[in-house]
Amino acid sequence: MDVLEVPGVLESLQPIADFVKEASAEAGLERREAYRLRLAVDEIATNVVLYGYERSGQTGLLRIAKNLDSERLTLCLEDTSPPYDPTAQAPPSDLSESLESRPIGGLGVFLTIQGVDDFRYEYVEGHNRNYFTVRRPAAV
Amino acid sequence: MPFDATLSTEGQVATITLTGELDAAAAPAFRARIEEAAGASPERLVLMAERLSYMSSAGLRSLVFAKQKMGQAVDIYIVAAQDPVIETIRLTGFDHSVIMQEAYVG
Repeated sequence: MDVLEVPGVLESLQPIADFVKEASAEAGLERREAYRLRLAVDEIATNVVLYGYERSGQTGLLRIAKNLDSERLTLCLEDTSPPYDPTAQAPPSDLSESLESRPIGGLGVFLTIQGVDDFRYEYVEGHNRNYFTVRRPAAV
Repeated sequence: MPFDATLSTEGQVATITLTGELDAAAAPAFRARIEEAAGASPERLVLMAERLSYMSSAGLRSLVFAKQKMGQAVDIYIVAAQDPVIETIRLTGFDHSVIMQEAYVG
């Protein structure tokens, strides 16, 4: 399956995760890379549901598509909630601060950017598009 | 694997055993167990994580929630977590705020 379209609700995180796992297996990613990619997509999808759709009172879809070539796996997560560029978000404050004293925002996007080789965002014709790219292991 | 969180309390120690995948959809079930545990005013919260196969930032936010509900003096132990979960905790600096153990030592 190259494309999955699901409602923009938290219950859709699991089918999205299954789609990512399947794509990672097809791309031959190592377990660690596959986990980090799943985490990256999960964090952005969660933000879209909670802050894109729910907070704006809108409903809509989450669409995820994969593009696999000999060197890279790229996943594109798309939605129609209000424009939101995760890459414009400030990084989390000092990560060594204690749980009690630091603001908690920004962790999801931080994990996303740390988890993939390239993360890109664009807003095109009413659609947020988040691109997650990982390099495939070198052919043996 | 579906997420599950079970609570047991012994003396001043509340233990929550986590199983499966902890994403934002599963986090409310985890927070419900934390609230339940907080009712017994424990001094220590032990999270048995051996069978926790996935945790997103929703899980990290639940740890902050635990500190808020139980008080800052309560120590949070994370026991036997799998490598990718440990990596997320370390990457975000949460290892400075919780006690990570391979096997629970009280």
